[in-house]
Amino acid sequence: MNFSDWLQPNGLLRRLTKRLLQVVVTLFGLLILTFIIGRVMPIDPVLAIVGQDADQSTYQQVYQQLGLDKPLWTQFFIYLGSLVHGDLGNALLTGRPVVDDIIRVFPATIELATMAIIVGAGLGVPLGVMAAARRGKLADYIVRFISLAGYSTPIFWVGMMGLLVFYAWLNLVGGAGRVDMAYDGLVDNRTGLLLIDSALAGEWEVFRSALNHLVLPATILGFHSLAYISRMTRSFMLAQLSQEYIITARVKGLSEFRVLWSHAFRNILVQLLTVVALAYGSLLEGAVLIETVFSWPGFGSYLTGSLLLGDMNAVMGCVLLVGLIFVTLNLISDMLYQFFDPRTNA
Amino acid sequence: MKIKWTLRTLCLSLLLATALPTTVGAKTPNDQLIVGMNMNNLLSLDPAAMTGNDAVSIIVNLYDSLVELDPTNLSNVLPGAAKSWEISEDGKLITFHLQEGAKFHSGNPLTAEDFAWSMKRLLNLNMAQATTWKSYGFTADNVEKMIRATDPLTIEIELPKPTDPKLVIYSLATLGSGSILDRATVMQHEKNGDWGNGWLTTNEAGSGPFKLDVWQAKDVLRMSRNDDYWRDDAKVKRVIFRHMTESQALRLMIEKGDIDIATGMSVPDINALKSDPQIVIDDVSKGTIYYVAMSLKEPHFANPKVREAVRSLIDYDGINKTIMPGYGLYHQRPIQKGMSATLPDPGYKLDVARAKTLLAEAGYPDGFTTTLRVLADPPFINIATSVQSTLAQAGINAKIMSGTGNQVYGAMRDRQFDMLVGRGGGGVDPHPHSSLRSIAYNPDNSDAAKLTNFQGWRTSFYDQQLNELIDQALVEKDQEKQKQMYIEVQNRYDALYPAILPISQMVDSVVVRKDIIDYIPHPSSTTHLRSVYKQR
Repeated sequence: MNFSDWLQPNGLLRRLTKRLLQVVVTLFGLLILTFIIGRVMPIDPVLAIVGQDADQSTYQQVYQQLGLDKPLWTQFFIYLGSLVHGDLGNALLTGRPVVDDIIRVFPATIELATMAIIVGAGLGVPLGVMAAARRGKLADYIVRFISLAGYSTPIFWVGMMGLLVFYAWLNLVGGAGRVDMAYDGLVDNRTGLLLIDSALAGEWEVFRSALNHLVLPATILGFHSLAYISRMTRSFMLAQLSQEYIITARVKGLSEFRVLWSHAFRNILVQLLTVVALAYGSLLEGAVLIETVFSWPGFGSYLTGSLLLGDMNAVMGCVLLVGLIFVTLNLISDMLYQFFDPRTNA
Repeated sequence: MKIKWTLRTLCLSLLLATALPTTVGAKTPNDQLIVGMNMNNLLSLDPAAMTGNDAVSIIVNLYDSLVELDPTNLSNVLPGAAKSWEISEDGKLITFHLQEGAKFHSGNPLTAEDFAWSMKRLLNLNMAQATTWKSYGFTADNVEKMIRATDPLTIEIELPKPTDPKLVIYSLATLGSGSILDRATVMQHEKNGDWGNGWLTTNEAGSGPFKLDVWQAKDVLRMSRNDDYWRDDAKVKRVIFRHMTESQALRLMIEKGDIDIATGMSVPDINALKSDPQIVIDDVSKGTIYYVAMSLKEPHFANPKVREAVRSLIDYDGINKTIMPGYGLYHQRPIQKGMSATLPDPGYKLDVARAKTLLAEAGYPDGFTTTLRVLADPPFINIATSVQSTLAQAGINAKIMSGTGNQVYGAMRDRQFDMLVGRGGGGVDPHPHSSLRSIAYNPDNSDAAKLTNFQGWRTSFYDQQLNELIDQALVEKDQEKQKQMYIEVQNRYDALYPAILPISQMVDSVVVRKDIIDYIPHPSSTTHLRSVYKQR
């Protein structure tokens, strides 16, 4: 393929440009919506800063400092102006640039979400395949039950119960937080991923403690995405298993294991990738409740804290990031579809 | 065949699940103190800009103040950075003499000039903590003249308007805003004329027993021992404050010994811990008061008979017995409990028949409809529910509007509410004026005055004679006479059918592991951690 092909109506570059434009428009729409919702929310950030006993001159002073005395649209354009320069403003919550805050809190969520997706996809995919293969049998019912349970139990409650059983009674895992509190701050912050940072520093005690704290929230979170992933896997597999090539393969005398994994499974890989990518995206978005239960200092905690405070700069920054993650994941999975399955190139 | 692959699949799944490790959580180390608390309200560590008790509890361990209050006897003022002080004959000048050899964490010497500058900064910044000092008459314009260093170790505070100098000393000891800042260090970090406020939000420039290592909002705050402290060094090496919002998680962790001290835990969780022999629960009496407030801007409540009726429509006994345990103690006076001037409770109680008569006399024999604003959290919402049902018995139909602090107190600050269940009042300065200023005093009732820091103003409750009594009592030097005047204030308040009806005085519970020694939670949240240690 040469460069001129890319510029064809259906060329890669054209399509990419079109998609990127969609991304920008989507994010811009998201920003306007969030901004308006933020401004009509009955939360007064000024009061949160000055406290309820402050006198009026202090209140007025902070009100003006935050630029709240300006018209709504002026505020929005000021925000957009700085956004163009990569400045998301300062957060009320921390007094620091929102970008810095997000860079600080996001790795904690990445660590949690990555571990969770390993658990969720690692268990969800094989279970889904198994359920499809044994459709209507006991194994299928068990998987469907697990999936239903994962879907319908409130994650907050499961988190509390998990802490009670595995931490308080059985003493198997660490409690709330990312690490035993006595180890707090002993490792230099290089990547923000505590497992990697502690390993780099050779602090194996901290590493073990961090892993210990990660297991429970990640498993619970993973269980939640497992439900979704196993259901989707099951239905994708069922669609494949009724195809003629599977019957042919079986007639040829291939083992059931090979029929399932080498034939059917290979054909659902791309679809699965989308499912897993989207599941990962929503995990990254901040497993808000789990982060609250486990006092996990991640993105979800940051976002909820900012919302409660009416800290709009921080909220907009977070919304922008979440939007970006979803749009990017969508884009990537669409591109992969087209790469693996040229029929979708329309 | 089928069994074989099923097994293989299951093995794969199990392998993934069990690839995760298991070990046992550790007890907290002996030389570290670990505190679990909700840091939602901790926004700034700048002593001039901070709000709320949580910030004070941290600030007092990073900074020195001139004086401290004895947590076991609140009227006993102890030396801090000032080793002695005296009040002039006419009560208008307080002179403090500083300790020698005190140093900031930067190594700079702590001087009287630093204190004078810290107060100047406070009033010039005009952030949250300036409010009290402005009420004493200090302004950005006069502060330099009124608070001055006469030599490196002597500070003079001249009171801009007549007030009780004891109250000013108590404020220096309890507010945290009287912290002494290292002027040179702060000014190195000044940006755009912000007096170093941006930097001090997450940093410190103090001389206290601990130095701040790091503070990450809603995550963790760590401080380590200042080995160069002018007093005895703190006994623990590190203190870690960990942000935890879930009371149940806090409870599990303190039970297991993974944290040493927990604050802000919910009452049911505290009750569940009461039988644990490893845990001590300290109930700390606070100065603030739970109350039912009415706005006199609302025509019904402008009528004193209606206010009197409402006063008879609250089930004080029931609320204090069933809702308040763990939150507050029975109290019906505008001045906090335990002070020599505080009168015994007047004995208001639920009396529906009397209320109905009063309402009929006021011209509302069938009652009326109104709204009742309240925070959505316990115990506020529970109090409101009780009040709603007893009001209804006399025909007052109060619609509950629950919301966040902004929605409830914001409306109150704007004088746009009918009724409200809230909490407010004095700090812990052991002085009757502290609560009266907040709840009963209202020097100017006009909307334009915008005295939003006075809850009396917020309710539009105004009585000139009451104001004068409060003003006079504050400057009375004869202690016995002053006490009599405060008694008179309470009697007058009572007779006026006030807009704010106290129900209960706040208590706060701190949960502490038994092996933590010398941790004495201070009613004003100025809990000093320098002498705390572990005995195992």
